Amino acid sequence: MFGDVLVKTLRDQKRSLLGWVVAIVLVVLMYAAIWPSIRDQPSLNDFLDQMPEAFRSLFATSGADMSTPAGYLQIELMSFMGPILVLLYTVTQGTGAVAGEEDRHTLDLLLTNPVSRTQVVLEKAAALVVGTVLIAAVTGVSLLFFGRLFDMSLPPGMVAAAMLHLALLGLVFGSMALAIGAVTGRPALARGIPAFVAVVAYLVNGLGPMVSWLEPLQRYSPFYQYVAHDPLRHGVSWPSVLVAVATVVVLLAVAVWGFRRRDVRG
Amino acid sequence: MVDAPVISTRGLTKSYGPTLALQSLDLQVDRGEVFGYLGPNGAGKTTTLRLLVGLLRPTSGTAQVLGLDAWSQSVEVHRRVGYLSGEPGLYPRLTGLQHASYLARLRGTRDTAPAQALARRFDLDLGRPAQDLSKGNRQKLALVLALMSRPELLVLDEPTGGLDPLAQQAFYDIVREHTTTGGTVLLSSHVLSEVQRVADRVGVLREGALVAVERLDTLRGRSLHHVRVAFSDSVDAREFLGITGVRDLVVSDHTVACSAPEVAIDAIVKAAARHTVVDFECAEADLEETFLAYYGQEAPGVR
Repeated sequence: MFGDVLVKTLRDQKRSLLGWVVAIVLVVLMYAAIWPSIRDQPSLNDFLDQMPEAFRSLFATSGADMSTPAGYLQIELMSFMGPILVLLYTVTQGTGAVAGEEDRHTLDLLLTNPVSRTQVVLEKAAALVVGTVLIAAVTGVSLLFFGRLFDMSLPPGMVAAAMLHLALLGLVFGSMALAIGAVTGRPALARGIPAFVAVVAYLVNGLGPMVSWLEPLQRYSPFYQYVAHDPLRHGVSWPSVLVAVATVVVLLAVAVWGFRRRDVRG
Repeated sequence: MVDAPVISTRGLTKSYGPTLALQSLDLQVDRGEVFGYLGPNGAGKTTTLRLLVGLLRPTSGTAQVLGLDAWSQSVEVHRRVGYLSGEPGLYPRLTGLQHASYLARLRGTRDTAPAQALARRFDLDLGRPAQDLSKGNRQKLALVLALMSRPELLVLDEPTGGLDPLAQQAFYDIVREHTTTGGTVLLSSHVLSEVQRVADRVGVLREGALVAVERLDTLRGRSLHHVRVAFSDSVDAREFLGITGVRDLVVSDHTVACSAPEVAIDAIVKAAARHTVVDFECAEADLEETFLAYYGQEAPGVR
């Protein structure tokens, strides 16, 4: 029946998801708790302005104003810590979906039941989506909750938009891990390639504005879709959403196509 | 009514890059039959079994299972086949019962009673997580999971490996019950002794090629005897060399030793009777040895 693999996959993640939720809540709490002291130190902005442009562009997303809650979170949470946490989750789960089960020999057990390989890939992908959305939602809710607690007021609509883009960023790399695992069956590749691509994409997006030959590549970086339009201030960018969703769909199609035609290692 | 064969392969070939793992296999297994698939490790047994359950894609040739193509119609095949992997993987944190319930759901039922009944026969505790089970108990659980849906065909890769004698006995009983109700079994092993109690036919695979398919009855009929005769005088080896079926002939001074199938015993006795016999020994070899004598050097039995 459709849904059994999905439910099983999520149930397997019960503990790990709980860990993620606790970690995220604590991270957000920490950022919110130090907000009042940051706000009262306008010199931080001067400090940022004095940093080399490349550095600022990489870690601070140009144009963010450290003295506003949106700018502060943009720099502190959204540009680095947030993506790292979400990508860790999605790439791990994407790797585990097919390559991980194959590596532990449980794929034999699963696939010799009357479930098609397409169904397995789609249910695993659905589980990835549910987990990622949950993590993004917890992040968003904690931001709003602790934001109110520490006088860091954020418009809920903008937070929701930022979380949507964060989830999509995670899903792009998670689907990449899932697809590589489905096509090759090798966890090391499924984990390693997306991690490498993510670093490159991060640098391309960060350095694009300054390095002329990188500039034309910048808008192909998933990080560009994620953060270039500054979702905490400007909300959802539908073209970016479309690009991210299309990327995920293509990657999952590759996963299904590759998985359906290859051998499962014993 | 003549049933179509449950398993039928034609020219089934599998290569991994330049390595030929299975070479043009033509194999037919009929309904109600227990087929023992024998060969040393690396001969291609596992490859064959994985091809039959659609985990591997044939390089050329076809495999039909229950009249369906094993690769392109694998979902339908899986509905009717129970498979035990040669290296069974389990979910470490799930208990036996959770495994059974998950796989039962994938087969469209919530009924775990068959799994529990099987576990009782194997004396297996379904309440413990797989990671806490011993190797033998993990094998039992994997068997329970392969058997629990009462499939028409069982494809079992080294099912008795790691099982204690009691569990082996339970397994053989279950296989017999399975075939009396019309089920079919294909099981692999590298030793004949593991399958000779249940198999109707055995096939021997060596280096990717099926070198022999034999009814077990026939094999038993050809079963070798060790013959040793002591004479009061020296004898000439040539008198015994000519006897059909005699092998491993050793003549040393006053004694003659050889292995021979039942049909050759009479000729040996008659040849010996021309001399004065001091002593005569004749003992039946076990089936394994007969098997090795016919199917060669590095064939089954070498663990």
